[in-house]
Amino acid sequence: MKKLLQLSIIILPISFFLIFFILLTEENQFPGADYREFDLPVFELKILNNDVSIANSDLEGDYVMNVWASWCITCRIEHPYLASLAKNGIPIIGINYKDEKIDALEWLSKYGNPYQLIVQDYKGTLALDMGVTGAPETFLVNKGKIVAHYEGEINDYVWNQVFDPIIQERGMFK
Amino acid sequence: MKIKYFFLAFLSFSIFSGTVYEFSSDEDEKRFNKLIKDIRCPKCTSGSLSSSNAPISEDLKLKIAEMINEGKTNIEIKEYVALRFGKDSLYEPELSKETYLLWFSPFLVLLIGLLFFLFRIRKNS
Repeated sequence: MKKLLQLSIIILPISFFLIFFILLTEENQFPGADYREFDLPVFELKILNNDVSIANSDLEGDYVMNVWASWCITCRIEHPYLASLAKNGIPIIGINYKDEKIDALEWLSKYGNPYQLIVQDYKGTLALDMGVTGAPETFLVNKGKIVAHYEGEINDYVWNQVFDPIIQERGMFK
Repeated sequence: MKIKYFFLAFLSFSIFSGTVYEFSSDEDEKRFNKLIKDIRCPKCTSGSLSSSNAPISEDLKLKIAEMINEGKTNIEIKEYVALRFGKDSLYEPELSKETYLLWFSPFLVLLIGLLFFLFRIRKNS
């Protein structure tokens, strides 16, 4: 019994150290990426260009959802990459986040529109329900479920590291 | 006299500048104040919702107030936040398989220390 206790004084700190070392140095996912799966939130908002109502149930198939705003500098940097994605046949749905309609439309006419349609989220309610903390943020939606979420600017590197493995795994955009 | 009106106008602006959250009872208001202290601001390194006036925190506070008025429980509200902004947005981690080590390891260490202590006492006597 004494031996066991004496031994535990040495073994216990070492095992704690090891457990926390393993937990904390775990091969982490790409910084800014989140792969928790959840349903696309229920919403009813307006389409930016024509003020027609749109609900979550109107969106079908697989697509990318991109949160953007005309006041967001990083969105401008990201914009050409979104255009190239759209050119390659990836459907992108925009969420215009806390933006003035006039500014958003002017921005699109100036820099081009890579979006299939744009949901106007003036108050940021849909974005909040999706866990958005700012712009730009990008989501991958597979059959009504959000399967990947990236906070920040997406580019070729991020796309290949964060989204492409999931797209291949789930056989999306074919 | 004119100065008096000027100050009056100036004061009235500052009185109504904060967001007003409306609740049906004092209890709900207390719940709200406790919740916003227990939930981390999603945009800050470490600060509660109550200490933050970042736009996202303001939105989240409004949402929490709305959920309280809808009759949602504290657990439901915390689940809503954790699902969207991660489990680390709750200051007090929930008790689950993943957090057993976090919750119970101090007691384990205490127990072993106690055993060791009792053993020493018995040996000395």
